[in-house]
Amino acid sequence: MPIYFSEHEVVLPGQLLSDNGKRSGEGTYSIGGKVYAAQIGFASIKNNKVVVIPFKSAYKPSPGDRVIGIISDVKPNGFEVDLGGYLTGMIRIPDREEVVNMNLKVGDVVYVKIRESGLGGIIIDKRDRIRKIQSGLLIHIHPAKINRLIGRRGSMINMIKKLTGCEILVGKNGLIVINGPTPKHEFAAMKAIEMVENEAHTSGLTERVEKYLKELLEKG
Amino acid sequence: MAFVPRKSLTAKIMRDKIYNLLLQGRRIDGRGPRDLRSISIQTNLLAKADGSALVSMGSTKILTGIKVEVGSPFPDRPDEGIFTVNAELLPLASTTFEPGPPDERGVELARVVDRSLREGGVIDLKKLCLVEGEKVYVIFIDIYVLDYDGNYFDPSLISALAALATARIPKYEIVDGKPQKTGEFFTLELNSLPFTVTVGIIGEKFLVDPQIEEEKVLDVSMIMGTDEKGNITCIQKNSPGQIPLSLMDEILETVLEKTGEIRRKFLQEVPVKLAEQST
Amino acid sequence: MEKPERLIDENGRRVDGRRFDELRPIKMEIGVLDKSDGSAYVEFGGTKVIAAVFGPREAHPRHLALPDRAILNCRYHMTSFSVEERKPLGMTRREVELSKVIREALETVTFLEEFPRASIDVYIEVIQADGGTRTTGLTAASLALADAGIPMADLIAAVAVGKVNGQLVLDLCDIEDKYGEADMPVAMAPRFNSIVLLQLNGRMTPDEFRRGLALAQKGISEIYKLQREALKKKFSSIPPTET
Repeated sequence: MPIYFSEHEVVLPGQLLSDNGKRSGEGTYSIGGKVYAAQIGFASIKNNKVVVIPFKSAYKPSPGDRVIGIISDVKPNGFEVDLGGYLTGMIRIPDREEVVNMNLKVGDVVYVKIRESGLGGIIIDKRDRIRKIQSGLLIHIHPAKINRLIGRRGSMINMIKKLTGCEILVGKNGLIVINGPTPKHEFAAMKAIEMVENEAHTSGLTERVEKYLKELLEKG
Repeated sequence: MAFVPRKSLTAKIMRDKIYNLLLQGRRIDGRGPRDLRSISIQTNLLAKADGSALVSMGSTKILTGIKVEVGSPFPDRPDEGIFTVNAELLPLASTTFEPGPPDERGVELARVVDRSLREGGVIDLKKLCLVEGEKVYVIFIDIYVLDYDGNYFDPSLISALAALATARIPKYEIVDGKPQKTGEFFTLELNSLPFTVTVGIIGEKFLVDPQIEEEKVLDVSMIMGTDEKGNITCIQKNSPGQIPLSLMDEILETVLEKTGEIRRKFLQEVPVKLAEQST
Repeated sequence: MEKPERLIDENGRRVDGRRFDELRPIKMEIGVLDKSDGSAYVEFGGTKVIAAVFGPREAHPRHLALPDRAILNCRYHMTSFSVEERKPLGMTRREVELSKVIREALETVTFLEEFPRASIDVYIEVIQADGGTRTTGLTAASLALADAGIPMADLIAAVAVGKVNGQLVLDLCDIEDKYGEADMPVAMAPRFNSIVLLQLNGRMTPDEFRRGLALAQKGISEIYKLQREALKKKFSSIPPTET
């Protein structure tokens, strides 16, 4: 199919991407038999469809996603979890006594898995152990940058974890919890994550972040 | 006029984290408890305002504009000009600001800045009289919060002072009983430079210039201002919560030091005409 | 401000020296605010506007949420010191009307169905007004939406054409707007060659209207190009530390 973009070209909303209207994927739309970009990002072909990987995009929950949320309400039949943006997930616990025993309060931070997301709202797995986060530094970055933060086969996030000695829980929804040996290490991890967020669309990032981290940790 | 925030849920672990860091003399953005964020001041950026200033304190950004008109004096102060302060927390600035008339926070901001300027005697209102009992200069100081990352009070006062200091006030004269612009301009002489510092308290520790994540977990917050002579020109406890009396001395000492720091920065960046200090 | 004797001189130059089809100097900056999801600052000559977008976020109040799509809210507002005569705080009827027509333009190109029950909030703040504030605001709002990653069919570029001393001119400044015979703000989604905002204040013949639209289109395609350049610049592949 004839395409009108090149590999590392930044495409913009309304930009013509291809003449095959049937092959329009995420981040694009098709009209009049042609495919156009709907968001700013890099265009590419995935599964024979033209897609745009946007630089910024609202988080769209998918079953199996691990996310971090804050308990926003305790109800007789379960918990409401604020996942950021405008998204609220439900943990359904039909047994009132079990709800009480779980001892989750409004303001508690939890690491959970999405079971389903659709007309019935966002349902959070309760069978998979819901992990209550006891402590740590909670930060958030744009959900669209999470993949870059994790890196190919975890290369970026593992490098940051290793260098800073921090446990870093990454939610697909953009929320992150950092727990480290000292405040200095936690701060370094936070700054490294900030750098990834700001420069996610650039190349050679992993090396630059590594260099930056080493400098930060060397200082005081 | 109760303020109903958009869902701005606070994570409990952040309160613990911020408090624990404070116990070690650290903050989440790498500052020390007594460190202010970096301040930048730009003045005279708007052609239709008689004076203007854009101030950033970290990511918090405030834009203040001054408009001068001629009007009638207050009956009990016939030989004094008038100034009034208004403030808007623009919905642009934060997910917790709703569009609409100023809510209690916007009104509080305007009144606290107003008091700092008024009690500090910053402007000599007697110099703003055109015709006693009939026509005086009326100065409108309008403050807009453009970007809110915690603490809009301190930079708002800085921007009001910067705008006043650099304002080019059109000179009026009375012609046939009506005020008319002469085409000349004058600048205001400021009698004093009172600045404020916002103090946030968690447990028995306190920090200055809280950013938004810190503001969410503070036990209590207060604003205190002093002038160059060391007089206290403003106090406002601006949140629910209890201020431990035992902290007051240390807070005052810190405020004196920090307002001095802001004043030095201000004098560096802003060409201000200070009135002759009479003892 | 006094009415100038002529708005266009013998050489076809306007009060600020421009030719009839010249835009004012334009500046565009993307991502100027930290706390909003997307933002932009745009200048058209002396008109300076900031736009910011929050969304998708929870619709507030909840009962106004729509089951199948997001609501797009828009507030066009001017600061008190943006104009010659101080504008008192609060929304004037003019600001209410402009908020509506700008919102309707933005709604047209935004894929609201992606976010049921949510709201996308667009805030436009005019900090200095010198004619064409709604078109500058709409141009900025479109950039802010793109910056926020809100899916859109196209960017929106807008400009006001007017009639002064009987002549059609592009990108009216304040004096021309005040003392001219007509002011026609036009906004388009250039990809689709369609109009998303159109108003007229004044009087035109059908022929002037047609020529006015053509003139607007010319200006709009230049503005669209500048928008695309500004967005590409913000997201260019050169790491910030190396520029």
